[in-house]
Order: sequence, then C-alpha cells, then structure tokens
Amino acid sequence: MTDNRPDDDILDERIRALTTAEYNAPEGSVPRDAMWAQIAAARRAARVAATTDAPVDDATVIPLAPRRRSRTVVFGWSALLAAGLVLGIAIERARHEDSGTTTSRVAVAPRTDSAPVVAPPESTNTDSVRGAHPNRETTPAIAPKSRDILQPRAARELAVVTPRDRARDLPALPDSTVQTFYRTAALQTLAQAEALLIAYRGAENVRDPAAMQQAARWARDVLSSTRLLLDSPAGRDPQMRTLFSDLELILAQIVQISGTPLQARERELIEDAMRDRDLLPRIRSAVPAGLATS
Amino acid sequence: MDERELTARVKLGDEVAERALYDAHVDRVYWTAYRMSGRHDLAQDFTQDVFIRAFDRIKDYRGDAPFGAWLHTITTSVVLNGLRKVKRFDQREAVLEEAAMVTSPVRESEPDLKERLAQAIEALPEGCRVTFLMHDVEGFTHEEIGTALGTTAGTSKAQLSRARAKLRIALADFVGDWVQ
Repeated sequence: MTDNRPDDDILDERIRALTTAEYNAPEGSVPRDAMWAQIAAARRAARVAATTDAPVDDATVIPLAPRRRSRTVVFGWSALLAAGLVLGIAIERARHEDSGTTTSRVAVAPRTDSAPVVAPPESTNTDSVRGAHPNRETTPAIAPKSRDILQPRAARELAVVTPRDRARDLPALPDSTVQTFYRTAALQTLAQAEALLIAYRGAENVRDPAAMQQAARWARDVLSSTRLLLDSPAGRDPQMRTLFSDLELILAQIVQISGTPLQARERELIEDAMRDRDLLPRIRSAVPAGLATS
Repeated sequence: MDERELTARVKLGDEVAERALYDAHVDRVYWTAYRMSGRHDLAQDFTQDVFIRAFDRIKDYRGDAPFGAWLHTITTSVVLNGLRKVKRFDQREAVLEEAAMVTSPVRESEPDLKERLAQAIEALPEGCRVTFLMHDVEGFTHEEIGTALGTTAGTSKAQLSRARAKLRIALADFVGDWVQ
C-alpha cells in the first residue's frame, strides 16, 4: 500500500473526479417539504406519546409494595394458624394425658399402698411430727402437695412441671370439639401446603434464589404445623396421617433450600417425590373447594 | 441565528429551530444518502430517519463539534443499517466479492466507463466503499470518518488505500486512456 507507483496517484485522482461527477451524482432537487412533513408528523407523534406514556405505565405496571404486603399477609396468617394449632393440640394432649390414654413423660415412682410410708427425716409437715417438734412451727417449710409427700425424694426430684402439666388444669373439651379443632387445623395446613407447593414450583422454574429462600421459610412454618398434626392423638384418620407423612417428607426437602440454586439432582428428587406420591392432587381432594382461596 | 443557538432552542422543543436546522443540513444528508444507496426513495427514507433520530437525541449533542459532523455520524449509521435491512447491500457485496476474485473482464464485454465505475464501487467491501465515498467524494477527513464509523483514523486510511487499489484494478482497462 505504501509502494504506490507514480501513475497510481494520477489514477486515483481520475477515479475520484469521475466518481464525484458520475457515481450517484446529485440530480434533480431534494424533496425538502415532503420529507419535512414526514419528520414533523413523527416528531408530533413522539411528543404525544411522551406525554401519554406516564399514565399508561402507571396503570399497567403492578407496584411492588402491594405484592409484598399480600405476601406478608400470607405469612401473618401462617403464623396465626401455627399459634392456634399449637394451642389446640396442647389442650387436646393435656386432656388425653389426664384421661390416661397416653403415657406420661414425667417420671413417677411406683407406689405400693401396702408398704408402710416412712417419712423422711426432713419431712416435718405431718401433724404428728409437728407436735413432736413444736419449734418447727415458727419456721414452717413450704408445704408440698400431699401426693409428693407420699413419694420418695428421688422421684420427686425427677418430676418437672411443664406447660403441659399446667394445661391439665384446663377443663376437658368434648371429643367432637377436639375433632372439629383438629380438622380445621388440618385443612388450613393443607391449604397452606398447597399454596406453598405451587409457589415453590414457580420459584424453582424461574430459578429465583430470593423466592426459593422465601419458599423455604414458608415451608418451615408449614412443616411445624404438619408435625404437630402428625403428633396429635386427635389425628385418627389413617388416610390423613399418610398424607401428612408424605407432606412432611417433601416439606423437609424444601426446607433444605438455603436460597442457593438447587442442584439438578435435588430438584429431581423433590419433583419425583411430589409426582410419585400424587401430593398436590391428594391435597386438593382433601381440601374443600374455596378454603385455600378464602 | 447561529447553529449553537439553534441547537439550544431545538433542545427546548422549538419546532421553528428544528426546521431551520433541517434546512441548513438536509441537502448534504440527502445526497450522502443517495450516494451510498443509489436510490432516491431510499435516500428520502434515510434522510427522514436521520433528522428524526437527530432531534430525538439532540440532548446528546454537546456542541464541542460542528453539528454537521455530528449529523453525519447519524447519517452514516442510518444509511448503513438501512442498506443492510433491504438486503440489497449484502446481495450485491456477495456477488461482487466473487467477481473480484476473477481477473478483469475483457473490455469488449463492458459497456461504458461510467457503468464500470459504478460496478467497481459497488463491488467494494462495505467499509472500503463508505470510506472512499466519504473521503474522496464527500470530503470528510479521516478523523471524521473514524468517528462516524466508530473506528480510528488509521483504519480509515487503510480502508481508503484498499478501496483505491481495488478500483485501480477494476478499471485497469481504462488506464491507458486516462494516463495519456
């Protein structure tokens, strides 16, 4: 390119002159007004669009805040439901323990009525002993319940007062009422589970880590309710118990999601489990129409 | 009213100023578009697009270069993209790239010089052709061409040199007449 021959410059100049004169040389006149009419029309349209764009956008774009609020409402209802469920199941369990249908977890020493009751040396609260030691009257010890007095000290030390023990003092509910409570809690939990599983699938499809994390938190709440229902003695329906067992498994898997994208294998496991167990169809058949939306 | 004031008023949405700027530059834009496309209908479309785009983006014009140079950048972009869209450019380039591989045809088979010149120019690769037309015909500097095409002045020089060499080869049959 740099070794141009002398003739090249002459040729280049000739070609340039010829091109200027001949190649697509301006001929005729420029249609100024016709083009300006088009330009002006386009400019006016652009100005109109610019002034009308903002209201259209406001009307069509869904603001984020209300969506967040609605999700918060869902979580709020979940928390309220879980609290109600815990209370109901605690009352129901206390009633069963009182009626002796379940074994108490509190250690109680075996009591033999035939054996003579020997008061421990420090037990000075019986009348006979009190009479023998009148000085103890001035410094009375805290009086234990009579049944504690009849138990050996080691057994009494093992006894722990729990909230469940306090619930024993509550009046026993009729069986039909307990069943109604249980069924209501079960249906609401299933409705929540259905909504959660659908939300999980949506979040999983779009691979949105934030939505997956939120689904995992939601799953943790529903899992707590599910386990309480599984533990409840009021849950006598074997079909419902199987459904809750399957649901517990899936929820436990979803809870494992820590906001990071799942591996393909993990996704397959959850999807397979949901599909193999027909979880969503079974939940939908168990939940009356309208409950989930209400 | 000078150009700086006109552009300032256009930025404020003054339609009269828009028309004044249009009148001042429309001929050059139109003929540039015509040079590059060879068709009046395309030149008209491209010119309209150039001014619509220029007025839409007038806020991007900072005034540190002549308005004509800024407008020509838009012109080049609009014309090249427009030509690609109508596919006429690509088809022509593909056919003529193959023709360039063959030795020059015999003179007897050719019509006159004017037509051979047009064919030779249209046979140039896009970058070479645009650079040649802008520099040798429209009178732009290499710096201005580099800015308009998004390349450098050095690239523009190389493209021009390549274009000239190809044209010399394509028009070799006429060399004897010209040199004499």
